[in-house]
Amino acid sequence: MKKKPTKIETKALKFLTAVSSVEYSKPTLKMGSLIASVFDASLGVVYVGEKASEFHGSSVNLTRHNLDNWNIIHPGLEVLEWALKELKKLNPENRDLAKIQFNPDHVYEEDGRVLVILPNEDGSRVELILREGELVNELRKEIQLEGYDLAIIGGSQNKRHLAHSLIQYLPSSIFVLQKFNPRVKYKLLLLVDDSSATSKSVKWGALIAEKLGWPVRTLTVSKTKRFGEGYMGAAATAKKYFDDKGIEVEQFFLTGDPVRTFVEFAADNHFVIMGASTLNPVKQLLFGSKPIKTLEQTDVPILIVR
Amino acid sequence: MIFWVQQKRWLLIALAVGAILYFFVPHPQSLSLEAYHILIIMLMTLIMILKEPIPLPAIALQVIFWQVIIGGSTPNEVGGYFMSDAVFFMMGSLMLAVAIVSQGLDKRLALFLVSLTGNRTWRIVAGFTLTAALLSSVIGPHLVTAILLPVALTLIRFSPDRGKGLVALSAALLFAIAYGANVGSIGTPSGGPRNVIMMNYWQEFAFTSLSYLGWIRRVYPMVLLEIPFSVWIILKTFPPEQQHMDSAVRHLLVEVRRDGKISPAQGLTLVLLALMLLGWVFFGEQLGMGTIALIGVFLFMVTGLVQWKEISAGVNWGVVLLFASTISIGVQMKNTGAAIWLAEGSVSILGSLLPNLDWVRAILSVGLSVGMANLISPSATVAVAGPIVLNLGGDPILLGLASVIASAFGYFTAVAAPACTIIYSSGLVKAPDFLKAGWKMALMSILSLTVIALFWWPLFS
Repeated sequence: MKKKPTKIETKALKFLTAVSSVEYSKPTLKMGSLIASVFDASLGVVYVGEKASEFHGSSVNLTRHNLDNWNIIHPGLEVLEWALKELKKLNPENRDLAKIQFNPDHVYEEDGRVLVILPNEDGSRVELILREGELVNELRKEIQLEGYDLAIIGGSQNKRHLAHSLIQYLPSSIFVLQKFNPRVKYKLLLLVDDSSATSKSVKWGALIAEKLGWPVRTLTVSKTKRFGEGYMGAAATAKKYFDDKGIEVEQFFLTGDPVRTFVEFAADNHFVIMGASTLNPVKQLLFGSKPIKTLEQTDVPILIVR
Repeated sequence: MIFWVQQKRWLLIALAVGAILYFFVPHPQSLSLEAYHILIIMLMTLIMILKEPIPLPAIALQVIFWQVIIGGSTPNEVGGYFMSDAVFFMMGSLMLAVAIVSQGLDKRLALFLVSLTGNRTWRIVAGFTLTAALLSSVIGPHLVTAILLPVALTLIRFSPDRGKGLVALSAALLFAIAYGANVGSIGTPSGGPRNVIMMNYWQEFAFTSLSYLGWIRRVYPMVLLEIPFSVWIILKTFPPEQQHMDSAVRHLLVEVRRDGKISPAQGLTLVLLALMLLGWVFFGEQLGMGTIALIGVFLFMVTGLVQWKEISAGVNWGVVLLFASTISIGVQMKNTGAAIWLAEGSVSILGSLLPNLDWVRAILSVGLSVGMANLISPSATVAVAGPIVLNLGGDPILLGLASVIASAFGYFTAVAAPACTIIYSSGLVKAPDFLKAGWKMALMSILSLTVIALFWWPLFS
């Protein structure tokens, strides 16, 4: 019996972009906005600030309370205000978004986070969220609370630790925007194997390629010279899917260590899409996985589809 | 499950360390079993305070039950260790901070400060340092920083070149507040809960005491010595981008003059503060510093200056609980002999390297306090290290003062002191900035302490 193809319900998709500062988050926000428009998804923008040691929590809260009296807002709210302005610039055609105004007094605390109330936000499909704590922990809570499908995150200096934590603990698909250069003409590189996540990543890749017009390459890597039926079948299915959509695709079959081959092939001009690992969490923690190792070793933007 | 383990790994590590020491490592012959168990509880608690894998109140709760289960104390004994004048003082100072901040006295202070300093940047930095130090010596660094931070941020916000970053100017103003508050917090016993803890320890463990004025006479010269050096270090480390702040000062004056004349509530607040200061000076020893702080809170509530709802919402009671629990560990360390065992062990190890025993004691007292204060809070440092320091064998007043003063040298990290955490939360200073200026401040402070200890304190012996 033929398996019913899974359809991406784009209208229902919810994406979450993490911003940290006006200085560093512009590319992340830009890409987040672009990807959300490709998938017609609603976009949550979350600022995760450092949480003060609980030892001095009273003093920090007291100071924040006093700063309110002076109309000095939380640094995170300043970043969110900037993010809203940027989103308006990036989406000039979105009239609902253009209408909404940021008011730092219109915020409310709920479920350990601060939500900015945006008047007339229904049509804009944007949410601004302020959280404090450890990045991965807070993103995980937000994703679980709101059921986000994709988390969009900028790169980090502590890449090894972050790669592990993001892939291991975030329950959504993850897009890590490392060294993204808007001037580079990226090619979409889909890593195809026999894992169950491949079919969804192919569909996401097709949607991005269709909307952005980026050239598509698929890469299948085998450790031995022989490519098994599963690998060849997955590559053929991917090719057919792209052909059906009228998207031209180049296919590559290479042998070697998968992660090293991915990284070398991706170089610095590919936008990588790969499925999340199906290994059990304990094995991933102890030995890592292909997505974790790839994210650790490459600097190009990478989308891990779960 | 794996996520939970990852999040709670420091709790699991602390428990594993405790279990290994309890079940598999025999206690030293020179240490009683009870004392050994208290040291295990102390070690587990310090790991948890340092890494905060669970909420602070939960850390305090585990201190209670471990003391009953393995510490050899009855529940009533542990309950008794939890309440002391130092805990009253901690509660009182947190409640007073809420009461005072809500009166809007910061705008009066801003007006006063700017009228003294004028528009030149270096004078404004010096003014912030001096004001923070003098006020913090009486009402504590957390309250002073909460009051002064909006003034500094308003100046930064209205600086004409704000768009260009003004990184050094921002850092100079904010560190002037934080380091000024740290420097001043040692000046009088009411400058911080850690000072009151030491006063309690002197009475309970060393059977001696020091009056409010006696403390000031010994320590305030050091505060005055440190202030100009602090200003110099801050300005050299973060040379401001602007030499004058005319426009920012004008905007600040417009902002604060909107409030008009001093209100009756503000006047009453100043009167109550003055009465409390007199109470601390003249009755602090007899009534207890904490009792007088609680009388102050009582008067603030009776006069309607603050509502209980505001106080209740503004105070983190979990911190009070944790604070009490660290004091209870300190008391138990003294009672079981763990403190003297650690003190004698440390002296004998360092004594083999240095012939002068006074230097050994001074280095241990200062080193232990500086090291711990930069990792956990100054109050927890004194609560835990105090009993060890007082058992080192020298003059308990001098060693205690040295320990308390050194616990204020938390210049290196954002978590070291409430003032540092507050300016860090503004987002305008980064963690490396604390190291950049902190080592100079620590060096200057240690030299100042040495000068005071060698040339000033002998006059009181």
